[in-house]
Amino acid sequence: MISTLRWTGLFILVFILQTTLIPVITVFGVRPDLLIVTLFFLAVKKGGSAAVFTGFLIGLAQDFYSPQILGQNALAKSVVGYFAGIFNEKVMRLDPFIQLVLLFTSFIIHDTIYYTVEMVQNGTPLQTVGTRLITTTMLRAVYSLFFALIPTFRELLFTSDYRR
Amino acid sequence: MHSIFTLIISHRRFFSLLLTSFLSLLMITSSPVKQEETLRFLSMTVFFPLQVVLSQTTKIGNIFGENRKLKAEVVRLSAAVAELREESLENQRLRDMLDLADNFDYNLLPVRVIAQDPSPALRSIVVTAGATDSIAMWMPLVNERGVVGKVVQVMPRISLVQLLRDPSNRTGVLFCRTRATGILETEDGHDFFVQCRNHEPIEVGDTIVTSGLGGIYPRGLNVGVVKKIEKDPDPLFKQIAVALSVDFNHIEELFIMRLSPQWSAFRSELDSIEFDND
Repeated sequence: MISTLRWTGLFILVFILQTTLIPVITVFGVRPDLLIVTLFFLAVKKGGSAAVFTGFLIGLAQDFYSPQILGQNALAKSVVGYFAGIFNEKVMRLDPFIQLVLLFTSFIIHDTIYYTVEMVQNGTPLQTVGTRLITTTMLRAVYSLFFALIPTFRELLFTSDYRR
Repeated sequence: MHSIFTLIISHRRFFSLLLTSFLSLLMITSSPVKQEETLRFLSMTVFFPLQVVLSQTTKIGNIFGENRKLKAEVVRLSAAVAELREESLENQRLRDMLDLADNFDYNLLPVRVIAQDPSPALRSIVVTAGATDSIAMWMPLVNERGVVGKVVQVMPRISLVQLLRDPSNRTGVLFCRTRATGILETEDGHDFFVQCRNHEPIEVGDTIVTSGLGGIYPRGLNVGVVKKIEKDPDPLFKQIAVALSVDFNHIEELFIMRLSPQWSAFRSELDSIEFDND
């Protein structure tokens, strides 16, 4: 219960940061996505189903506050939660470096789904989607990885529940 | 039925994804009107607490922004206040000058200092009046505190003024109380002294004015006060240290006294004097 509250509080905090502070540190139009980072670590700690529902909810919240296509972020983040949940540390222990690689992959999966929905709904050309995936997504993923490396952030996320 | 639940529980991650994906796709494919309805529903239920938190945060953000704006406004107003204070001081100075002007019968021309000697000695300044304003060589300059210097070079619109503190300057002075006369001198532009005969009963605090004997400054312009009395190497004299009234580091508005040197009336006679060089 405490863990759930802690994660809820963390997500609310990260969501607030993502909508208020993060736009300030935009570099060349690229801004980190702390929600995906947090979601990934939630999946690693708490398992896939929690991450899928959390991903859905925070994605929905993002759609709610920046409505372009309702459900777009919800779907993308649900899938990221599912993907990251495969690497639940209760099932397998992964090297932190591998975790970062998987986090990077999560960004690719997220944006692939996100842009695919956009392509289908808005008719965005495939070439544009491909370019965005290669440029924006890669940079965003790398930028976000720096935040995953912040010791306090990592400590907060990596402190395992069963280790306590 | 039990087996279905078991299946769902055992594959809950997959079924969770299935459910959320289905809901997401439902929202994605729904019509804009339906999406609008869903958004309205979400705002009243699921995201209401989050909305409250976010609106409070935004409010705090606005407070920070407002604080920034107010700080900028404070800086702007401080600058405006400083400017007004400066103008008030200038006004006061000019008023003081007008009082001074009333005390003299000379034709006074107000001028501004536009340049000054960049060296620390500060021997001269440039003022905003020249030949076109009927300014001529040797005209004295004063401010509300007293004598400042004299014009030594005149150009069409500006004039160069030699300050009293220039070591090459010599000014005839008079001790008001004792009526003793002397010459104000300085070696470094900071310490001023008058050599005076030993028997003169001069005291610290005595006022010194121009004597008018030099021909350039009229008699009675305030120069300073006696600061200290010291012994002179010559036993017949003593050195009177003088504190000048004018603060030469803060001179901005001055008056040129438009009067000819007192010896100009005798110029032809003076010019006719032939010195014997032998």
